[in-house]
Amino acid sequence: MSEWAWVALGFSVAYGAMGGYAVWLRHRLSDATRRIEKIR
Amino acid sequence: MRPVPGRLTAVTVVAVAGALVAALTAPPDRLQGNLQRLMYVHVPAAWLAYLSFAITLGASAGWLWKRRASLDRLASASAEVGVFFTGLTIALGSIWGKPVWGVWWTWDPRLVTTAMMFFVYLGYLALRRATLDATVRARRSAVFGVLAFAQIPVVHMSVVWWRAVHQPPTVLKPAAPTIDEWMLAALLANVLAFTLVYVVLLRARIRLAVAEEAYDAAHDGAAGELAGQAITTPDYRKEFPNHV
Repeated sequence: MSEWAWVALGFSVAYGAMGGYAVWLRHRLSDATRRIEKIR
Repeated sequence: MRPVPGRLTAVTVVAVAGALVAALTAPPDRLQGNLQRLMYVHVPAAWLAYLSFAITLGASAGWLWKRRASLDRLASASAEVGVFFTGLTIALGSIWGKPVWGVWWTWDPRLVTTAMMFFVYLGYLALRRATLDATVRARRSAVFGVLAFAQIPVVHMSVVWWRAVHQPPTVLKPAAPTIDEWMLAALLANVLAFTLVYVVLLRARIRLAVAEEAYDAAHDGAAGELAGQAITTPDYRKEFPNHV
């Protein structure tokens, strides 16, 4: 792989992981909120 | 429910875009060429892992002193985000290591101590899930959060104390930073952007912790009502009218 391909891979992993974690947190939060409303 | 304020998210997106431009336009390294640009994501991720666990340390010590639930939430949220950044640091180091060192992984002191840090804080998160009582959980994890931080200086100094493939520190060291000014500026821009991402993730994780506690409280209340009905003494005269 070329140097820029490694750079693209690294940056994609970094920003993809941060975005994915943020989306997962949002999903967990909405799931918890939905479960609370179901009990109440 | 919105996990984070929109203004903070907008500022973070702008900072990340600026940091990305700085990382891709900074001068290439004389020896590594463009591969050195991976430093602009690998090093901020590592610094954020340190910061996360430092916040866990402070909040854990604060909980042992003040016994406030908010400090327990802060400690646990920062530990989870710290584990995320530690895993990211290892993954990005691996992506950088393969083209430069020729291997994805090597038993280098910095890599081994970082992996240990990752697993120790995974243990912190496992300990929290294994303890049901909120006060006991907070006390145990606070003690863990204080003791676990002792390894962070070992991770940072591992490249100085032992012979290592990993390069020694170029910015966080007693002498002046040995790095080009433009590279240092790009690195600091990325550290700032990653720090804002950390704040966004931390706030979202704290809100999740609050929601989970509210769910547990509501769930325990509902379970208590059911249990109360189950143990109510039945009226035998009504249930068995012919019983003598």
